[in-house]
Amino acid sequence: MTNGQTDTEVRHIEQEAAPSRFARGWHCIGLEREFLDGKPHTVTGFGRKLVVWADSSGAIKVLDGYCRHMGGDLSQGTIKGDEVACPFHDWRWGGDGRCKQIPYSRRVPLRARTQAWPTLVQDGMVFVWNDPEGKAPIPEQAIPRVDGGPGTPGWTDWAWYQTRVDTNCREIIDNMVDMAHFFYVHHAFPTYFKNTFEGHTATQLQKGVNRDDMRPAEVAIGAPKRLGNTSVATYHGPSFMIDDLIYHYEHGDVRTVLINCHYPVDENSFVLQYGISVERPESPEDAAAAERLADKMVQTVRIGFEQDVDIWKNKTRIDNPLLCEEDGPVYQLRRWYEQFYVDVADIRPEMTDRFEFELDTTRPNEAWQREVDENVARRAAEAAEAATSDELVSQTQGA
Amino acid sequence: MTVRTDNRLGDAPMRPVACRSCGTTVLARKSSWAQTTVQWSAEAVAACTSWDPGCSIRGELPVCHPLRDSIARAVVDGDLPVIDDGR
Ligand code: FES
Ligand SMILES: [Fe+2]
Repeated sequence: MTNGQTDTEVRHIEQEAAPSRFARGWHCIGLEREFLDGKPHTVTGFGRKLVVWADSSGAIKVLDGYCRHMGGDLSQGTIKGDEVACPFHDWRWGGDGRCKQIPYSRRVPLRARTQAWPTLVQDGMVFVWNDPEGKAPIPEQAIPRVDGGPGTPGWTDWAWYQTRVDTNCREIIDNMVDMAHFFYVHHAFPTYFKNTFEGHTATQLQKGVNRDDMRPAEVAIGAPKRLGNTSVATYHGPSFMIDDLIYHYEHGDVRTVLINCHYPVDENSFVLQYGISVERPESPEDAAAAERLADKMVQTVRIGFEQDVDIWKNKTRIDNPLLCEEDGPVYQLRRWYEQFYVDVADIRPEMTDRFEFELDTTRPNEAWQREVDENVARRAAEAAEAATSDELVSQTQGA
Repeated sequence: MTVRTDNRLGDAPMRPVACRSCGTTVLARKSSWAQTTVQWSAEAVAACTSWDPGCSIRGELPVCHPLRDSIARAVVDGDLPVIDDGR
């Protein structure tokens, strides 16, 4: 830490425009249950309008939202059989992107095909694969099954929340490494913190203790008294994080899964979604207690994100953050994140090579420091001794 | 969206540290006693015999313990500086 710098040069914030392409990878667009009502839904994402619906078997389909006939908005249409019917002239589009029927014409013209998005439904969530190169999903980047969660007996259904944030989605990615903000924005105190980036995944492990006096918002909603937490959160690709979160309460541990995901609306906004599922305690005095806890936790998470959003609303984009030694690996995370914005052929090893950043405040630093001092002194003494004997040898030889 | 260079690496770059167990070399840096950064290469990942992916539902870390010990030893031996050693 150097203070008292004498240079008078001012540091300038650098910023390129947010990238005009959108990240390659799986993006969760919402819960499956939202799309099963027999109607087409509008999803504005990736700078486009998409139409999302469930066919007669309940399979979720996603197409570009605009009809290739005369540009009608398919998401304002209706579901007819397995197809979405355009509100303008009733052309019928199948989930594979092909026009299946034009009710007033005997023949469908050539190339009556629109963009269909690969979809995945898993653990109650719907995902679409975005790829500016238009290629099929990368098998190694499949979203893993949630361990626990609504698919597992004894866990609550997703308590889910969705909101639109008007900033580029890099801000929420940065969050993953920004240790200092946990303290200043969220009043959390990580005693152990680690990031590991490798391949298409980026992980954050955090152990923390809580101070109730610093958490008035949580106390106000009557959230139970929390002693601390252990959180292992992994981004599987550019936008979908599974956080295995163990809360330590006075009465014992509670296992939860937190989903934190987003999809870009355009370069300057994204839809943030998060959901929580909680493992019900073994002996429930009250069957609804776990659901209430899940709801409380979602509110707690919401408070956390609202604190972030308040910052994001007013901050500027910065490509050259000026970091101090206590900050996390912001540049290295962005290097990892860049892999999703270049063609697969242009991914460089540094974007995907394993990188670790650890902060362990529980290490007995003083004891360790003493050991280092002793070793350095010993080495210095040995070196001095060696030099003396060399001298003796040369003196003897010289004699 | 070219990512710039970490301003902290200019004065104090990462340094090679060899693992005393498998012999491979990684780049390491310690900004404080508590903080450790490790940059692996594909060769180092391939050579490592002790990488433990951990278990997220038990709150366990992915880590190579022999390498972590080797880095601590490099500090103790004075081969890896601690940038802000709190003194
Ligand atoms: S614009 Fe869709 S049917 Fe004509
Ligand atoms: Fe935050």
